[in-house]
Amino acid sequence: MAMNPMEQFEVKPLIAEPLFSIGGHPIYFTNQALFMCVVVVSAALFLTLTVSKGRLVPSRGQSMAEVSYEFVANMIRSTMGEDGLVFFPFILTLFMFVLFSNFFGLIPWTFTVTSQIAVTFALASVVILVMIVTGFMKHGLGFLMLFVPKAPWYLLILLVPIEIISFLTRPVSLSVRLFANMLAGHTLLAVFASFVILLGAAGGVLSVLSIAPLLLIVAIFALEMLVSFLQAYVFSILTCIYLNEALHLHDHH
Amino acid sequence: MSGAPATTEGTEAQHGAGFPPFKTESFPSQIFWLTVTFAFLFVVLWRIAGPRIAQALALRKGHIAGDIAAAGKHKSDAEAALTGYEAALASARGRAHAEAEENRRLIEADVEKSKAAAEIEFREAAAKAAAGIEVVRAEAAKHVTKAAQDAAAAIVTRLLGDTVSPEEAEAAVKATGA
Repeated sequence: MAMNPMEQFEVKPLIAEPLFSIGGHPIYFTNQALFMCVVVVSAALFLTLTVSKGRLVPSRGQSMAEVSYEFVANMIRSTMGEDGLVFFPFILTLFMFVLFSNFFGLIPWTFTVTSQIAVTFALASVVILVMIVTGFMKHGLGFLMLFVPKAPWYLLILLVPIEIISFLTRPVSLSVRLFANMLAGHTLLAVFASFVILLGAAGGVLSVLSIAPLLLIVAIFALEMLVSFLQAYVFSILTCIYLNEALHLHDHH
Repeated sequence: MSGAPATTEGTEAQHGAGFPPFKTESFPSQIFWLTVTFAFLFVVLWRIAGPRIAQALALRKGHIAGDIAAAGKHKSDAEAALTGYEAALASARGRAHAEAEENRRLIEADVEKSKAAAEIEFREAAAKAAAGIEVVRAEAAKHVTKAAQDAAAAIVTRLLGDTVSPEEAEAAVKATGA
């Protein structure tokens, strides 16, 4: 069991009894739920406790919190313009949630919240839902022009179905990208870790050889740190781009 | 967790073969906890963290802008003081120049006046001296005539043994046109 690299993605109840049930589905307090709580509490603390408004020269923690804040704000400004800032709390939450989930998952024996397709797909669905609601609220039925690019009518026969399909694949690509990246990275780490154990336990020359996968783990870990940040960034910037389409349709701000 | 007690069919099934993320039994719990935690984080960031950081950033920005404005004011003040100083310096220089010019003019006039006075004095002295010379010359000429009469009388006496009266001698000298 310890050698199964997929075992780390198992969602297991920490409390044997279900807490309650919704529509006949039992709700458990799982290892994933625990880490979701850890993630949101640390993200909330990171962005509140470190910040003191009277400080002219920020502390290290405040500086990092401010950088995260400005990073997300600039991301929104550059993709959506100033009027996109109404989505700031949502996108900041999305970015922080994914970023902290990804980074917490890198700590050994933790659970990676974003390595579950259910979580990433739910997040992506919320994004698409917000986009659709915004689009119809802002443009009414004119939002459907999203599927009609500026092109001659005979091309539209071909382009409109393509636009609709590409719109429908958005939640899928958005969720699968994050989920697969997290899953692949952690699986790779687990596989190399099991190599270390197997080689080390084999004894003799093979024990010495176990240093090779160990070094690889270090390298992959560094790569995974980059991927963790990058995927959080990609997830939020794609959200910005989608919401920008809902706000401004085809015209660029 | 292979030894964990199976509580429902769902969790029992989870321990079987299969790809864990695709085991739908865990989905309701996942979605439930995601909703709860995400909503919690959203509310905290929206209501507390966001405004706090925005306020801290705005405060700092305001402080820095105020400092820059104060520095700009000091700079313009210094520049104004410098131009004032330069103007004062130029006017003082102009005044000093004018005063020097005035003094020079006064001294020149003074010198001119003294020169004129000295010349007049010199002329008077020269005239006086010329008059003196004239007097002396007249006197001398008188003396010369007398001496010539005396000499003529003496010569006549020596040569002829005759005495000549001064009147005769005078008339004789006058006759020669001396």
